[in-house]
Amino acid sequence: MRSRLAPLATLAVAALGLGLAGCAAGGSGDGDTTKIVLGTWRTEDAAMWENDIIPAFEKSHPGITVEYAPVDTNDYNAAIQSQIEGGTGPDVIMCRPFDVNRSWIEQGYFDSLAELDAISTFPESALAAWEGDDGTPYCVPVASVLAGFYYNTAIFDELGLEVPTTQAEFLDVLDAVKEDGTYTPLALGSADGWQLAYNMLYQVGPNAWHGEDGRLGLIDGTKKLTDPDFVEGFRVFDSFKDYLPKGYESISYEDMTQLFTLGQAAILPDGSWQISQVTSTGLDVGVFGAPPAAAGDQRYQQEMADMAFGLNAAGKQKEAATEFLEWLGTPEFQQLYVNKLPGFFSMGSEPVSYDNPLAQEFADLKEGAELTSRLALDRLSAGQPPLDDEIWRVAQLMYNSGLSPEEATAELQKGLDSWYTPAG
Amino acid sequence: MIRTGTRYRMLALFVAPALVVYVAFAVYPLLSSVGMSFFDSGGGESTFVGFGNYVELFTNPTTSERFWNALVNNVEFFLIHLLVELPIGLLIAALLTSGRLRRSVGVYRTLLFIPATLSVVIVGFLWRLIINPLWGIVEFPLLGTEATALPTISLMSVWQYLGIPMVFLYTALLAIPDDVVEASRIDGAGAWTIFWRIKFPLIAPQFGLITILTYIWTFNGFDIVYALNGSAPGPNYSTDILGTFFYRSFFGSSGQVADLDLGATVASVIFAIILVTTAAYFWVLQRRLKTYEL
Repeated sequence: MRSRLAPLATLAVAALGLGLAGCAAGGSGDGDTTKIVLGTWRTEDAAMWENDIIPAFEKSHPGITVEYAPVDTNDYNAAIQSQIEGGTGPDVIMCRPFDVNRSWIEQGYFDSLAELDAISTFPESALAAWEGDDGTPYCVPVASVLAGFYYNTAIFDELGLEVPTTQAEFLDVLDAVKEDGTYTPLALGSADGWQLAYNMLYQVGPNAWHGEDGRLGLIDGTKKLTDPDFVEGFRVFDSFKDYLPKGYESISYEDMTQLFTLGQAAILPDGSWQISQVTSTGLDVGVFGAPPAAAGDQRYQQEMADMAFGLNAAGKQKEAATEFLEWLGTPEFQQLYVNKLPGFFSMGSEPVSYDNPLAQEFADLKEGAELTSRLALDRLSAGQPPLDDEIWRVAQLMYNSGLSPEEATAELQKGLDSWYTPAG
Repeated sequence: MIRTGTRYRMLALFVAPALVVYVAFAVYPLLSSVGMSFFDSGGGESTFVGFGNYVELFTNPTTSERFWNALVNNVEFFLIHLLVELPIGLLIAALLTSGRLRRSVGVYRTLLFIPATLSVVIVGFLWRLIINPLWGIVEFPLLGTEATALPTISLMSVWQYLGIPMVFLYTALLAIPDDVVEASRIDGAGAWTIFWRIKFPLIAPQFGLITILTYIWTFNGFDIVYALNGSAPGPNYSTDILGTFFYRSFFGSSGQVADLDLGATVASVIFAIILVTTAAYFWVLQRRLKTYEL
């Protein structure tokens, strides 16, 4: 028996060996082309990168080939960490915003990009999510997502409504829809705490707490959630609860999107990533940003940094990787990228034009507005209790159990005080 | 007659494959997780901290509040299964073996068992639609108020897993010889008396076993809550059970950074809770239940 299996085993080993040798040969390329690897968590975009973006780059940069190497988003952080610790990380690494990236910077995963020309094409607010503690940039921003209020233009026409320009007008519009009684004024449920926070509070609140001023104030300890500005932000958030559909306490994110796409609700607070979804039933949809308290006040627009690329400090093809990072700052790349992926927006200073009209309308919200990030994701959620989770919880309590803005902010500040020591 | 030495060697040989798999994939991870709970691995290196993580879990106001909340919720989750799922399972098993259903027994047995074979994601989705205030049959937000959310989820789970105690008790009831039942009927016992005085004592050990299994399943519960409410199950953590609390600690959630040591500590505490109760049950109760030779 042993003798009969031996030749088979030899054959198998030989085949395996040959196969591996073949791989190795294929991998090393033919000398004058350099291959760089992109590590990312966007598995869903693989086709887009491989068919459109990478060919465009390779065309203008002969001699460099790019391999797109996505890892599932839930495993991404662990995968990158173990790859880099093991010395095999990708040449270009997609950067998570804020806390995770800061720990990667501290571990020395990235090279500084201060010398990169592409960096100067981005405003400071776009770079903030991926900077080191000293303000050194480590990643080239690729895309952000925005929050806004989608509205059904047919319902607005039918009831003779105008897009509101102040908070008071906004409530008037909602009152008018409520009085008419045919439609739900606001397609919003409180079953999912995250979306109360991300799509409502972090959208309407910044007008009261002055966007980045308030957010960075919390981080450096000069401001507290119990300050009047923040209480006012929570109060504005609270004022929308009279316009929700019946049984909103158990209406989930999917339900509210559906309520809107079926044409049964006038307004939907949601993120730009839903652009394709809200227009999928053929509705004519427009979008507006959270209006400021009074006409002429500064308007604040939530822009959440989502993706960026950094340079692996231990990479072997740094020169080619740097060329790739420079290319990310060009209008050529940004134009291509955001139009292949409606709902994601370029963070560069140069305006980019969007083929999707709703995406263009969304992008226009950035005009004249101060941009601000989601309130609690940077630093304030790296302890127990994490501020972001706590905000989900108290936002639900405000809508479901009548917790007042004063009680809510006091409770949040107490939780934050129990562990957080201001960074600056 | 095989020599004892050879016998033991063969025994070891037969047991080894299962044992190796069990040790590698159950015992080792369990022990290593318990071991992990004694270390603080922040900042890339781990330092031994003894019971430090446990002290942190029970003294940090946030984590201890969440832990006790999850434990109380979990007890409620278990009690609803115990008080609803098992009696109904027993009732249906009794009806199936009563002989009244004649040839449709197979049909009922299959229909009642089908939900147990569905994925929890499907069960959660179906029920969420059925009780949806917008397009469902009740206007009341059952999943949206703190008082009703957990009972609602528990009853969904009861609906799904009803088939398990039913089949378990059904097979036990089938094993009761007809002559015992017949003899009692001749002695003049009614259906009620026969069930409680003859049949139930005979299946008591199985009933005890399914009770403790339900305890283990509900204290390891996670999937239905996660499928419906995610890893920070609201409203106001009213549907948070130990499984979701562990998940949130170990893997983090959107707003929470993962803490492996705390997660391992929570896992060890859950393990201890299940171990102590199960052991107590077997030492104290199961031994006293009489098994009858038939």
